[in-house]
Amino acid sequence: MTGKGKSRWADSAEDAALEAQVKKEKEEKKRIKAEKARKAETEKKRREAEAAAAAAQRQHQQQQTGDDDDDDDANGPPAKRRRLSPDRDAPPPPPPLQATPTASSNDNSKLLRFEGGRFGKCRSVENYDKLNDIEEGAYGWVARAREIETGKVVALKRLKIDPKDRSGLPVTGLREIQILKDCSHRNIVKLKEVVVGDDTSKIDNIFIVLEFLEHDLKSILEDMPEPFLASEVKTLLLQLCSGIAYLHLHYILHRDLKTSNLLLNNRGQLKIADFGMARYVPDPPPPKLTQLVVTLWYRAPELLLGAARYGPEIDMWSVGCIFGELLTREPLLQGKNEVDELTKIFELCGLPTDDSWPGFRRLPNARSLRLPSSSSSSSSTPNPTSALIRARFPLLTTAGVSLLSSLLSLNPSRRPTASEMLEHEYFRQDPKPKQEAMFPTFPSKAGQERRRKRETPNAPQRNQKAPEGGIDFSSLGGIFGAAREREERGGGFSLRMV
Amino acid sequence: MSHMMNPLATPEQLYQRRSFSALPIELQDAIFFSTQCLTQAAGLLLQLPQSVTAQANVLLARYWLEEPMMFHEFSDISAASVYLTAKLSPYPRSPRDLALVYNYLLSPSSTLFHPLATLSDDSPPPPPPPTNIPNDYYLPEHIYNSFHTRMLNCESRILYALSFDTHVSLPHSLAITYLQALDFLNTSKSTISKRTLAYLNTSLLSPQMLYLTSQPNALAVAAIYNAAKDVGAKMPECEWWEVFDVDREELGFLVVGMRSVDGWGRKMREDMERMKGETESGRRGGMIRRRDVEGELRRRGLSVGNGHAGGSEEPVDMEAEMARRMDEKMAEIEASAS
Repeated sequence: MTGKGKSRWADSAEDAALEAQVKKEKEEKKRIKAEKARKAETEKKRREAEAAAAAAQRQHQQQQTGDDDDDDDANGPPAKRRRLSPDRDAPPPPPPLQATPTASSNDNSKLLRFEGGRFGKCRSVENYDKLNDIEEGAYGWVARAREIETGKVVALKRLKIDPKDRSGLPVTGLREIQILKDCSHRNIVKLKEVVVGDDTSKIDNIFIVLEFLEHDLKSILEDMPEPFLASEVKTLLLQLCSGIAYLHLHYILHRDLKTSNLLLNNRGQLKIADFGMARYVPDPPPPKLTQLVVTLWYRAPELLLGAARYGPEIDMWSVGCIFGELLTREPLLQGKNEVDELTKIFELCGLPTDDSWPGFRRLPNARSLRLPSSSSSSSSTPNPTSALIRARFPLLTTAGVSLLSSLLSLNPSRRPTASEMLEHEYFRQDPKPKQEAMFPTFPSKAGQERRRKRETPNAPQRNQKAPEGGIDFSSLGGIFGAAREREERGGGFSLRMV
Repeated sequence: MSHMMNPLATPEQLYQRRSFSALPIELQDAIFFSTQCLTQAAGLLLQLPQSVTAQANVLLARYWLEEPMMFHEFSDISAASVYLTAKLSPYPRSPRDLALVYNYLLSPSSTLFHPLATLSDDSPPPPPPPTNIPNDYYLPEHIYNSFHTRMLNCESRILYALSFDTHVSLPHSLAITYLQALDFLNTSKSTISKRTLAYLNTSLLSPQMLYLTSQPNALAVAAIYNAAKDVGAKMPECEWWEVFDVDREELGFLVVGMRSVDGWGRKMREDMERMKGETESGRRGGMIRRRDVEGELRRRGLSVGNGHAGGSEEPVDMEAEMARRMDEKMAEIEASAS
């Protein structure tokens, strides 16, 4: 699309090395392609020869037996019920298409056929050639690899197994596999299969094979010299949101949405990845869910306040944080710990009141938190969040501010659902969302060995315990307190020592 | 759609079951039936909802189409399937819970597979029901540890054999939805619903592996059909099953398959008791074990351990064998001490 070095994203010194690498890979690809073509050619010739021979034979037979030989032909009438005793030397019947209407016994009524696939043993990881490591995360090791048979490039993610853990295979990994297997959406990363190490007498090397995408959003944001254009932000948000709408429609909470878990390919397509924290949550949600979910900077206030019953709204809060990050290239709320995170949230969104968030005082950790009574504080302004957000994002349109501030509502029930968000005014206004195909391309970091690492807190660990007796927020409020204590009312943010 | 679909067994998988191991097919059926019963009993004692236990039944059935039955002790593989499905469900159970429950179910104090009183007239009267002797199911730490290790081993084995696909759609909730659509056939809601669910639960034990050959919608319709016949409800005169995408032929097959489980199961229990009675000195009944099957094979002059049972699985077998010997030794010591 653009000439070499003309891209507004890439003109640094490491590009030369990168280009060399890309060139080398291109050549490798070309070679493989040529080889495949050659193979296909010979295969085709062989098949043609066979077909000719078969045809000749058939003709010969027909001459001998007359016309009645199409009964045992492969394309005779299909059996109604699945045959359960195979002919030993006949090839397996072609799998029926998914939900094909077939004529039923008597009438021409159309019945749906459900094809749920089959089950069988895992293949071996030796079917893949490792190309390079991508990263070593909190949940395991990821590498780029090529499937030997097809030449397709994939991402291999190794399940982290602690041999000392006596509860068996980690439930997070199993849930991730189960959920990804159930998902089929263009904005959710595709799970191709699960493979194991060659030694199957002890299953301790387990790899998830995922489709490979060149980038993750976080490293793009870190490296880009200018932020995304408004139209690009809209495209990214729309894709994120339609993926989440799909998840929530299927009762899946992701519980760890953040820019490093959003992948982007060179065709401008965004996919949600890393379902290590995800799980099925029925509606209404069960009474006790773990609060230790979502990376701190993207964690919703109700989780920080210790709510054990939560729903899809926590993902929408993370979407709000990601929206802000797309606009500025910086994570929106970089708290150092739970208390600091909540402080930053209240700075950005204002303080909750009994009107704006009824019932928040009953959350477990809210007890150590004393806020001014609603009469004395800013309840006069109808929506303080909007004003604060407008101040923080001066370049955002009014519709953009209204979307962002609704996503960052302290009260979970005020946040829009993912499908509501898709209908938001913001996406219909000019500038319109950019077409994915028109997206700029970036140098792929996942193809390289190393990348700059920035400190980000990790998602909470599974077996970590929630702090006994909740988090003590009494130390919070320095900022609110200190500034306002001098005020006549003494309102602001006072604390109760516990 | 995925909540209405299951991966099904291929004809090749069903066929190879015959040639899989040295086991005659009726022995395989007996093992299948009793292990599925054991799984259900464990689910009850673990207070798991039937939706979890039934999934364990289905996973176990799928596993046995991939690997021979004699690879692991039947109760271990049953425990692993329950542990795994519970772990993935909202009702996880600890390994110790499982160890305690299985230890109890396999002990002489358990009434599971206790000889039935009403078998046949010429057989000797059944032994009195077992008395509850807590010492029978006391769980020493080393037994727990070896059980735990074997169960985790089986867990990863099941996952490997099924490519980590643990998805199971059950027909139970579909059946209720269909019944609602049929207005409960104008009979008592609870009677017909219970009867329908009973058919669905019984089908889990069927050696025809109905859950691996039919999709949930077909199972639900067949169970409703059977239940309606049983309670004498009047079904619509049209071909109502087509509304639920089931054709007449499949329905007929499933109706017969579901109805036959009851009688077949009774006969199966007789056979098993005979088998146990011939291998064990005291005819106490109880869950069938690998050594019972081995004994039966020896009596029939069939060798054990050819085909799949040997070779690569040697280490697993050795370990199980070791654990078993230790169990027996311990039991002896305890018996002589008390």
